[in-house]
Amino acid sequence: MTLVTTPAIVLSALRYGETSKIVRLATRELGVQSAIAKGALRPRSRFGAALQLLSDGVAQLLTKEHRELHVLTAFDITRVPVGLAADVGRYAAASALAEVMLRFAPADPHAASYDLLRDALGLLEVTPPAALDQIALRTLWRLVSVLGFAPALESCARDGQPLPPDGALPFNTREGGALCAACAARHGASSLPPDARADLTALLDPAGELPLLDQRHAASHRRLLSRYIRFHLGEGAELPALEFWLRRPWTVA
Amino acid sequence: MSAIEELITELARLPGIGRKTAQRLTFHLLQQPAEQVGRLAAALTGVSERVRACTECGNLTEEQPCAICRDPRRDPAVLCVVEEPSAVSVVDRATEFRGRYHVLGGRLSPLDGVGPESLRIAPLLERVDRGGVREVILATNPSMEGEVTATYIQQLLAGRGLRVTRLARGLPVGGDLEYVDGVTLQHALSARQEIG
Repeated sequence: MTLVTTPAIVLSALRYGETSKIVRLATRELGVQSAIAKGALRPRSRFGAALQLLSDGVAQLLTKEHRELHVLTAFDITRVPVGLAADVGRYAAASALAEVMLRFAPADPHAASYDLLRDALGLLEVTPPAALDQIALRTLWRLVSVLGFAPALESCARDGQPLPPDGALPFNTREGGALCAACAARHGASSLPPDARADLTALLDPAGELPLLDQRHAASHRRLLSRYIRFHLGEGAELPALEFWLRRPWTVA
Repeated sequence: MSAIEELITELARLPGIGRKTAQRLTFHLLQQPAEQVGRLAAALTGVSERVRACTECGNLTEEQPCAICRDPRRDPAVLCVVEEPSAVSVVDRATEFRGRYHVLGGRLSPLDGVGPESLRIAPLLERVDRGGVREVILATNPSMEGEVTATYIQQLLAGRGLRVTRLARGLPVGGDLEYVDGVTLQHALSARQEIG
């Protein structure tokens, strides 16, 4: 057994038995891991309120090679993103990020995805309401990219041919991004209009200015991202948090 | 599938019961007198057949509406909103609350596919819109999902001329500061009260 201390974010927490919890953690040193927090539900548990969804802290894990469930011996909380709970839209975006991480991040060290998730949750908490949609789109696209599935926009996703620097592009979700004219003719594609292309390029660029998206365009981008995640990462799995973020049921009532 | 295997499989579906425990329970039941096992089976069937959600508040009951909703001594102007029926008995047993309840049947949880349409939020709004409700106490759990659910309901109730309150969070009675985590302590500090 090895004791590993690592920054971690709680992605899910399930009751286990009368007093314990099983948590899924996005860790910086070990990737996404499951662990049992024994006694976490006892009134005087050393975990206290630490194992709340999306809490950020430092986890101590007793790990053993080839074991799927580790033992969480401590979780020193550094931040509970309470701001996310104050707005269902923020929480929905955060849940979609957590779901992508939970389902698709590796169970091996992957610091880039952990860092991105941590920063994204912090950003979603403080983003002004008017920019929330764009920040949610950017952080989700960035997470998809960091996990190795960035859509191709500068060269053809099939044959690598450079694409014209501006104008509309043939886009094929299945092929992983934009296509050159020849590949689009063979494999089919829908047109990504020039403004949508510019917006998507800006969303994928963490240092770029956020695009201005009206409700209709934001909805189109959400649908595109959702389709892309479902095809490249989903493999038929249900993604309820992504669906929730896409449908926005909290805006209906 | 054999009868033994069938029972193990069904017991293992229960929360907190793994396959080993299910096996132990099955073999324990097999060693009991037939009438005792029969009473257990009848109790299970009885619960399944007779217990329903109260049409008014969503609490579990054998009569419609439930005893709490029928009780004329309870104040119908104060509604305590809880996540699950189990919370009704906890609050009712442990406090002097004499209002009525509304059970949501869960909490908003996108990761579990639970959205507003899966909860009894529309019936809550109907109850409020029928009039006579003065205060809604949001007693969802102090977890991230419970907080989001409370926020969402509070937004829906805003502008309806009600007092909407949330259960306080803080130090447990009989607790020890040394064992309290920073998050709880921060809540307790923010919600401190003047004494004397």
